Amino acid sequence: MEHKISLLGTEPADVLIHGPKKLYVNKYNWHVPDAGIIASYAPRDIDVEDHFDVFRGVDQIESFAQATTVSCSAYLETIKQNCTFDYLKKTFTPLFISIGQVNFRNYLKLGDVFICVGNITAYKYRQMSCDGRIYKVPAGLDLDEYFKDFTVENLRNYQLSEEFILVAELFDIIGRGTKRTIN
Amino acid sequence: MERQEIINGLVEILKTVRMIDPAKLANVTEETDFIADLNTPSTEMINIAAKAEQKFDVEFDDDDIDELGSKVKDIVDLIIKAKERA
Repeated sequence: MEHKISLLGTEPADVLIHGPKKLYVNKYNWHVPDAGIIASYAPRDIDVEDHFDVFRGVDQIESFAQATTVSCSAYLETIKQNCTFDYLKKTFTPLFISIGQVNFRNYLKLGDVFICVGNITAYKYRQMSCDGRIYKVPAGLDLDEYFKDFTVENLRNYQLSEEFILVAELFDIIGRGTKRTIN
Repeated sequence: MERQEIINGLVEILKTVRMIDPAKLANVTEETDFIADLNTPSTEMINIAAKAEQKFDVEFDDDDIDELGSKVKDIVDLIIKAKERA
């Protein structure tokens, strides 16, 4: 079976079991499978409903986990098991294992676009740990163009234009794929 | 390899886990529960399994870890099973 060299060009809905209402990744903008990922999302009306048009902090963490631990480990598992994302969805359930420290520095509201910048810190036995940050994206920025020459070193050092606004710092976000028992 | 020898090796690994009270390692038996008796964080179980792979020169499958119980005897059984299939 042939596999893409990364998640770029793959629809998050094809990778993630979540959604449609609780899918919090719109697009993969940068991905190096053994290093990390950058993915974007724009909160919809339903995401800020009953919450004064602000995207909830817990949903930011969920978005980060979907973009990082779930998407990155799903990609690696399709390679390891030589299978499709569809097969993984049917056989594994992604579980939150733990959330370390999270510091919120700003907030996100309806109409904003944000990116999850995730560094893989460990991957073993289908359990992945990631650190990272969430940034609000400058209005109108073409993310694919912006990240086309991005490097792993840039990722590790969070080297982004100052126009990106830091929203959250996340540490030790851990998720695990377990054989599916929840239907 | 005798089961007690494996338990002794596991205790050596557990001594390196910062979150485990060393005093609780004095009387580890096969029935000791990593989580209930030693207060081992569930996230740390993966690290303990990885260290056990190295210490006992075995390789666990991902599925082994899915099915692993939380008692010392469970990981002793797994180490023996992994050695047998090596």
